[in-house]
Amino acid sequence: MTAMSVRPEAIIEVSDLFKAYGNIKAVNGVSLDVAKGEVFGMLGPNGAGKTTTVEIIEGLRTPDSGTVRVLGMDVSKDVRAIKEHLGIQPQNAALFPTLNVQEIVNFFSSLYQKSIPSSEVIEMVSLQESRKVLFKNLSGGQQQRLSVALAFVNDPDIVFLDEPTTGLDPQARRVMWEVIKTYRRTGKTIFLTTHYMEEAERLCDRVAIMDHGQIIVMDSPQRMIEEHIKESAIQFKMTNYPSQEALTNLTGVTKVVKEEDEIILYTDNIPSTISELLTLASARSSELSDLFIRQATLEDVFLKLTGKRIRD
Amino acid sequence: MKSFTSVFIAHYKQFIRDRAALFFTFIFPIIFILIFGWAFRDPGSRTFDIGLVDQGSPQSASFIAKALDSVVIKGDKTFKVTTGEMDKQLKLLRNGDLDAVIIIPKEMDNSPQLKQPVDLQVYYDPSQISNQQELIPILNQVVDEIDRRIQGTVRLIGMEEHSIQSHDLRYIDYLVPGILGMSLMFTGVFGGLTTIQQRQAHIIKRLGCTPLRRSMLVFGELLFRMILVILTAALIIFVGRIAFNVQMIGNWGSLCGIVILGTLVFATLGYLIAAFVKTEESAQPIINVIIFPMMFLSGTFFEVKHMPGFIEPVVKVLPLTYLNDALRQIMVDGSPLHSMPINIVVMMVWAVVCLAVTIRFFRWD
Repeated sequence: MTAMSVRPEAIIEVSDLFKAYGNIKAVNGVSLDVAKGEVFGMLGPNGAGKTTTVEIIEGLRTPDSGTVRVLGMDVSKDVRAIKEHLGIQPQNAALFPTLNVQEIVNFFSSLYQKSIPSSEVIEMVSLQESRKVLFKNLSGGQQQRLSVALAFVNDPDIVFLDEPTTGLDPQARRVMWEVIKTYRRTGKTIFLTTHYMEEAERLCDRVAIMDHGQIIVMDSPQRMIEEHIKESAIQFKMTNYPSQEALTNLTGVTKVVKEEDEIILYTDNIPSTISELLTLASARSSELSDLFIRQATLEDVFLKLTGKRIRD
Repeated sequence: MKSFTSVFIAHYKQFIRDRAALFFTFIFPIIFILIFGWAFRDPGSRTFDIGLVDQGSPQSASFIAKALDSVVIKGDKTFKVTTGEMDKQLKLLRNGDLDAVIIIPKEMDNSPQLKQPVDLQVYYDPSQISNQQELIPILNQVVDEIDRRIQGTVRLIGMEEHSIQSHDLRYIDYLVPGILGMSLMFTGVFGGLTTIQQRQAHIIKRLGCTPLRRSMLVFGELLFRMILVILTAALIIFVGRIAFNVQMIGNWGSLCGIVILGTLVFATLGYLIAAFVKTEESAQPIINVIIFPMMFLSGTFFEVKHMPGFIEPVVKVLPLTYLNDALRQIMVDGSPLHSMPINIVVMMVWAVVCLAVTIRFFRWD
């Protein structure tokens, strides 16, 4: 308890979670804590076990073993009491097709002891104009926004958002980010899964990267990048591709990643690597295109640790 | 309670916006009643047009014409007799202007002396059901009567008819309770389809994210179905009453009890289907395969008689058989509930078995 007290009060405590479906170990030993007021992100490719983990924490699935405590209560025992204080947006957005926005919000509000006015919920995701539109007649993005908004009807202490911006256009995505940031300022906790690296970097205080049912790294996005990638990235496309070895031998290069026709060189010496790359290219009459130099991102951390890109 | 009311209201709003559901629940049974009731309406006593062809003396003809003319059923003369040439009469028969042609042979004049029967030749179209069922039996009686008069035999036994007022069971009286039973089956079983749709669309999963109890979800739906069937029953009985003067003789409380029991049976059957069928696409044909044969085998439209031996046991276990029968006993005979224990027990067994199997195999996700 004394060791824990360094961090602020843990509002979600998960230890040694296992869940198998047949031979597939969907969740293979996951432990994590989320502090009150934190925006916690879970990243990983499809099938990594994110959704299963989140649904166990939410009390929607039972684990084979392991314990989950949310708001100080045991999820396996007090699931109904806990749900009173949780806002959950599952990945699938479907709702009653023949009820309208207003009716759906009213319906969900009525399921909780405490709720915020439906007009506030609807305004939060800018659906005022569509309040009388039946769910089935909303656009995909509007349906998604309503689905996210419903996670807030009971003024929850913790909000779980599973891929909240999937299917939204860039503008709607930014609106959603504002919703999350505003909510965060009230001191509430947000648990987010996403496969948009930019989203995780912008919003999350801490991120866990999951692959094959396990958390392979968990830290703040900034520290994660600093710790795992000290280099910068040079990204380009190249005709007449030389061997991987030839690129690795360039001065400063620490790692070469080739993804289809896109090549990323991680380097701790940008000037030398660039000039040698240009020499190599002209010697082979290779054409370089889309070349740019950038700081490492979460995407690079993910790529380095799992050997694959997160996009599905 | 607040959430229970919400579930109920949500079901109500979805129902009234679903045109197909509205049609099958309210319009479909009414159409059945109107069409079947009209097609099989009571024709009353009808008159048969008879053409006489006299090949003997005019006396024989007028004797027989008089005998036919004297036949009266329900206060109306049964036969309208015309006399004419054979070719002309048979032509009228073929055209459908006559129901039968009776030819009186020449031998008729001296039949008393012949000491052997002389046959009247009767031509008619046997494909007309009323000819088979009414005309020929009546003609036979008439001929017997004439025969007796000619022979002068004294009748030893007579019969006097006394009519007693009873519920004159018309086809429509039989039909209306059957249509009601059918509607209860539809409304009950289609509840299972709603559950399958909501599960498939992950709506149930979404509701699982909230504190809503699943029992509330089930009870909210059941209560909605109950109210729906009671409205349907009222509508069907009302239409039967104003369109065909079908009386509901029994006790309204008994009727309500059987309606609710019947709905429970078919609602649990619907959930049973939902326990084994995952998608709406496969549920539709499976539901049809279950309910349409049941509709015909359980005496919804016609009494099930003369079934091949292997079907009879099936008919004897179908829940709709017992529901239809119970509804008829109440509506037509005015029987009280305690006179139909077998119906009630069989339906309860169905409900309990369906419920037990559903609880064992049903999955919410």
